[in-house]
Amino acid sequence: MSESAIITTNNLNLWYHEKHALQSVSIKIPKNRVTALIGPSGCGKSTLLRCFNRLNDLIDHVKITGEITLDDENLHAPATDVVTLRKKVGMVFQKPNPFPKSIYENVAYGPRVHGICNKAELDKIVEQSLRHAAIWDEVKERLNDSALGLSGGQQQRLCIARTLAVEPEVILMDEPCSALDPIATAKIENLIERLKEDYTVIIVTHNMQQAARVSDYTGFMYLGKLIECGKTRQIFEHPKEELTENYITGRFG
Amino acid sequence: MAEKFHTELKKLKADTLKMAKLGRFMLRTGVDALIRQDKELAASVVARKDEIHEMEVRIEEHCYQLIALNQPMAKDMRIIACTLKVITASLRIGRYGKSIANTVADLSTKPHIANLMSIPHMADLVIDMIDDAVAAYESDNLRLIEDLSSRDDTIDALRHSIFREGITYMMEDPKNISRCTHYIMVARYLERCADHACKIAENVQYMETGERVEIH
Repeated sequence: MSESAIITTNNLNLWYHEKHALQSVSIKIPKNRVTALIGPSGCGKSTLLRCFNRLNDLIDHVKITGEITLDDENLHAPATDVVTLRKKVGMVFQKPNPFPKSIYENVAYGPRVHGICNKAELDKIVEQSLRHAAIWDEVKERLNDSALGLSGGQQQRLCIARTLAVEPEVILMDEPCSALDPIATAKIENLIERLKEDYTVIIVTHNMQQAARVSDYTGFMYLGKLIECGKTRQIFEHPKEELTENYITGRFG
Repeated sequence: MAEKFHTELKKLKADTLKMAKLGRFMLRTGVDALIRQDKELAASVVARKDEIHEMEVRIEEHCYQLIALNQPMAKDMRIIACTLKVITASLRIGRYGKSIANTVADLSTKPHIANLMSIPHMADLVIDMIDDAVAAYESDNLRLIEDLSSRDDTIDALRHSIFREGITYMMEDPKNISRCTHYIMVARYLERCADHACKIAENVQYMETGERVEIH
């Protein structure tokens, strides 16, 4: 990958208790590109994703060695503030998880936590974020309605808007479409395509066709190791590793 | 699901091999009919033109169906892409066999000029090229096709020599013009068949390695 990297891991290892969940993973995530992580269940792709905003810190008995840098800064350096890190690296989960609040409050919540109180400014951020997440036209007339009344696909786009509201650099998506129907999935995929103009997107998916459709780069993981990483077209047209070949042609996994 | 798909893919390859063999058979038999001036044998080649065409349509549809229903990737995708090219090349080879068979009626009234010049030898070489390209598709053995480019050069040289020889006989006696024009056309058909063998080889290379090469 010759493009400039925003996140780099170097010889990253992670253990949950005795389980060696990530084994010497070295990967560069190019800026303003979509990188997909694929691999069979339990291969470590979500674990790797959760390293990028230190979400694994919340789990007991996790040990991490090796290095992860974001914009050349070590994520595990004592000076790194986790709250600031998670502002820079937003996350969208498999199941849409809006707060049980109004649509407006869902998006305004993050900026408020980060100290923005001015109503006009918040209004602007809410509108921009909802527009960026391609849901503004569907909700602009009912911003004060509960977010829980939205459809699954709308909830997921609201969660993306909520992530965008704090102006992250990187958006992590862990199976963002697996709870959605094909039409809602297509909307999220179109959105991902647009998001990369302003953000770096890393998506974990077990849907290989989705990885092939939305990503510029793909990393294939297996049993905690990054087996192969390269341009998406190369990975899906002629992977270099036999293991990758066997996985993407459905011979295992 | 993947298992069912891979079984289908094997069947696709087996059908394609049958079609490639029919194309090769039509060419071989067309040339044999010409050499022996055997009109009945020639008619048997012409009679198979619908069969090979139907095979092509059926295999092509099978390819599209596999793509639409399975979204194949990596080598699976490359096998289907290669197959689509192999069937086109095989159809052309079969049709050239038919075209050669079509000349037999005109060329059976008198003995061949100069024993058909280099046409029988050229046909043997072309058919060997087709056999190796098709065997590489079947067995994934790229060694069979590694010297195809230089073999194709030999074919081009033979076509040129037949052309010049034909012109010489025409100049000697205008009564030879019609027969020699047929010979020159047959040499041209054989040369095109060698090109199709090269096309098959290029696609087998892509199927195996994902790399695009030019063989001509």
